[in-house]
Amino acid sequence: MSTITIDGQSVPFEDGETIYEVSRRLERDVPTLCYDDRLEAFGACRLCVVELEGARNPVASCTTMAADGMVVRTATEAIERHRKTLMDLVVSENPKGARIDPLRGLASQELAHLAVRYESDGSRFVGKQSGTSRPDDTNPMILRDYDNCISCYRCVRVCAEREGDYAISVANRGFETQITTEFAGLLEDSDCTFCGQCVQTCPTGALGDLRSMEAQDQPGEFEKTRSICPYCGVGCSVDILTKNEKIVGVQPAMDGPANLGALCVKGQFGWDWVDSDERLTQPLVRKDGKLVPASWEEAWERAAKGFKSVVEKHGRHAVYAVASGRAPHESAYSVQKFVRYGFGTNYVDNCSRA
Amino acid sequence: MSTDQDLVARWAVEPAPLLPLLHAFHNRDGYLSEAALRAVSEGLRIPLADLYGTVTFYHHFAREEGGHSRPRVCDGPICKLRGSDELMAELDGATPMPCAGRCDDPIPVLVENRYLAGRPGAKLRETPAPMPDDNPGELEECCFAGIREDGRATLMGYCSDGGYGALTRAVREGSPAGVIEVVEASGLAGRGGAGFPTGRKWRAVAEAPGGPKTIVCNADEGEPGCFKDRVLMDYDPHAVIEGMALAAFATGATRGFIYLRYEYPHTERILEDAILDARDAGLLGQRILGSDFSFELYVRRGAGAYICGEETSLLNSLEGKHPFPRNKPPYPVTHGFEDLPTVVNNVETLASVPPILAKGADWYRGLGLGDHAGTKIISLSGDVQRPGNYEVPIGLPLDTLLNDWAGGPLEGRTFQAVTMAGLSGGFLGKFDDVTLDEPCLRARGSFLGAGGIMVFDDRRDMVDLARQAMAFFAHESCGKCFPCRIGTQRLTERLAGEAGPADADEWKREVADIGTTMAAVSACGLGIAAPLITQSLLRDFPDAVDANLEARKS
Repeated sequence: MSTITIDGQSVPFEDGETIYEVSRRLERDVPTLCYDDRLEAFGACRLCVVELEGARNPVASCTTMAADGMVVRTATEAIERHRKTLMDLVVSENPKGARIDPLRGLASQELAHLAVRYESDGSRFVGKQSGTSRPDDTNPMILRDYDNCISCYRCVRVCAEREGDYAISVANRGFETQITTEFAGLLEDSDCTFCGQCVQTCPTGALGDLRSMEAQDQPGEFEKTRSICPYCGVGCSVDILTKNEKIVGVQPAMDGPANLGALCVKGQFGWDWVDSDERLTQPLVRKDGKLVPASWEEAWERAAKGFKSVVEKHGRHAVYAVASGRAPHESAYSVQKFVRYGFGTNYVDNCSRA
Repeated sequence: MSTDQDLVARWAVEPAPLLPLLHAFHNRDGYLSEAALRAVSEGLRIPLADLYGTVTFYHHFAREEGGHSRPRVCDGPICKLRGSDELMAELDGATPMPCAGRCDDPIPVLVENRYLAGRPGAKLRETPAPMPDDNPGELEECCFAGIREDGRATLMGYCSDGGYGALTRAVREGSPAGVIEVVEASGLAGRGGAGFPTGRKWRAVAEAPGGPKTIVCNADEGEPGCFKDRVLMDYDPHAVIEGMALAAFATGATRGFIYLRYEYPHTERILEDAILDARDAGLLGQRILGSDFSFELYVRRGAGAYICGEETSLLNSLEGKHPFPRNKPPYPVTHGFEDLPTVVNNVETLASVPPILAKGADWYRGLGLGDHAGTKIISLSGDVQRPGNYEVPIGLPLDTLLNDWAGGPLEGRTFQAVTMAGLSGGFLGKFDDVTLDEPCLRARGSFLGAGGIMVFDDRRDMVDLARQAMAFFAHESCGKCFPCRIGTQRLTERLAGEAGPADADEWKREVADIGTTMAAVSACGLGIAAPLITQSLLRDFPDAVDANLEARKS
């Protein structure tokens, strides 16, 4: 079996595994900024460089395949010095990155964490900033705060490789690079579907979830509750973010078996109705053509009477139930149980079956 | 005038269609309009945002009406010395462009697809590239041996001196393996700068599984101070074509591209004519010389991006992708154009092949001095009596080239510095004992590279020259890897005095630290080589640096 030696430890590896992947299996803390394990390795940030015996220069571990007999050192003094310089450089063009609210997105703290680890405070390599924010893009979902962009292109790559939208790309080159839509326009005029995957993979919070960010100033930390998105049958795993018992956001679960961190616009941004003022808080019945408040007893009775008369007149298959994608899973379950058992028909559906 | 549909229909069926299709719109409209990009996106099925991003990568694609006809003036290091700023001020709507490869006879100006040249105060004229002088050392040459003959650029002229003889013999009597053996034995190595043994590259492609295989001629001569490939293509295009055909025969490739830099529009016409003539004579195309060997050759014009001279960036550009360099390995020999086995060779390398096959490996090896095999074309420019292209035996003392061949410094001046590899090799301040070969130059912390040498005399401000050089690398950095994207910017700011520590020691520490990390961990040659500028400045011109930093305080 092929083996590779990492920091003195000899380990077997599978064909096609990179040095970075093997290192991570060994719990070596190799830093990265442009890496997202769902995307093709890109090799841009160079933080994951390691010493490879026989190679003249350090190699990027994320793009270098493990090979039999390789001897790798992941954190020599020289390697750590390069990482420190790289982090100082990144922070120098992005000094605000250390103070980004975690509600902006799932990966938004990556830069801040590495800045702490490498003690990069923006005091070295001072100079011009790159990236131009787009306050003119007033869409209600995605913040485009490119002053904080470090040009790792995770957003561009996730949009192309995972979502298949190709809505954004890289304009210009070098220090002038800028994340852009076609003709530098607004997201709503582009092929963007507002799935929010770019937001969640952004390691600096340059892209932010505007709906979650509304809760930034509320006191306290947010909690995460793992759930399944109710909107459709795919079954995307989500973490529901709550602050003071109220939902303040949704983040995709990177380990969700059905979605691997993907969501669509509904699952990502469509949760604000939960605490909407317009929601019904009591049953209504129609009297003289008008809906008026009623007691639960009255409402149930009215419904039961109506169903019964339909079934008596037209048979059990005359009843058909559609559950809402906005209802909790438990309600959806109850509806189908009720329809199948109560009416004896399978005519039941859910609005999000599509 | 052609409609959008005509243009798309013309190119969509061709290999590597994006660049020529964009040029077709650019030439027709004078810029790339939104409508044009929408038509290209639809016609070639490239996502619009991707296409937009890719177009903005290239310096020369104008996106405003009339952009194509506005003069673009070379502001490379030599043209700067010759008054490019003044010339730019004289020309209405002119903008600067990076070195456009005419350092031996500056200043080039592009207007639409015309390549003009002139000085401030004089009329711009479309004049041919200067012909290399007869070899001043009266030494035997490889590439330039026949280039000065009248009519050499025509098929008849080339053939009258034995041109296409090597290809004819290989196809009729030889074998692919035989060709590779001779090239390997000759010691020919990549003349674009990387120096990889040519025969070994060809063997790797010949043995690589999969096809069709491709030969790419890297004619994206973007290195400031390099203008050798232009003279080869302008005056000896058939040598390049024959070299490519031989590479194809040796490796089993069936298609080839000459990736020509945008700044040589006249060269494109010369190459296209030469390819047509060669095809008519049965030397290209299907069943070459009546054999089973077929090879289709296309010219593809770049659009202004130094990084596209990096072979994997070039391949992405050819394929119509964003021209970031690829991660290596895998290398182009197995995963090149369209992920298939591909030879990427420089113009000079390919032009060397026909004479090597005609005269033998031993003959070529013997052209070098000492243990060095063969020759190298040096593009010499700047503050020297006779700038120009010189084919030198590898191992020639630099002193011989500068003083005996090129006439030494200008009247009353002394040499202060030379660059190596155009700009990529940085500066040398002490070079009396330098010989023109990689072992010597590597030992000096530099490299010969593509063979551009710019000379600066005692009048020149070394810190400002370093700033210009680093500004060039910052302008051309692709923006993919962090150390190069940020590092070239920070080093430029520090050399310009726009940002950075006021304290001299801290300034030097920052510059050194950025350079060390760039050189060690950058993803491609640009970021690895760029810090040689600052490193060589600090090494060979410490007094100039100190004086400059001191002057900033007041």
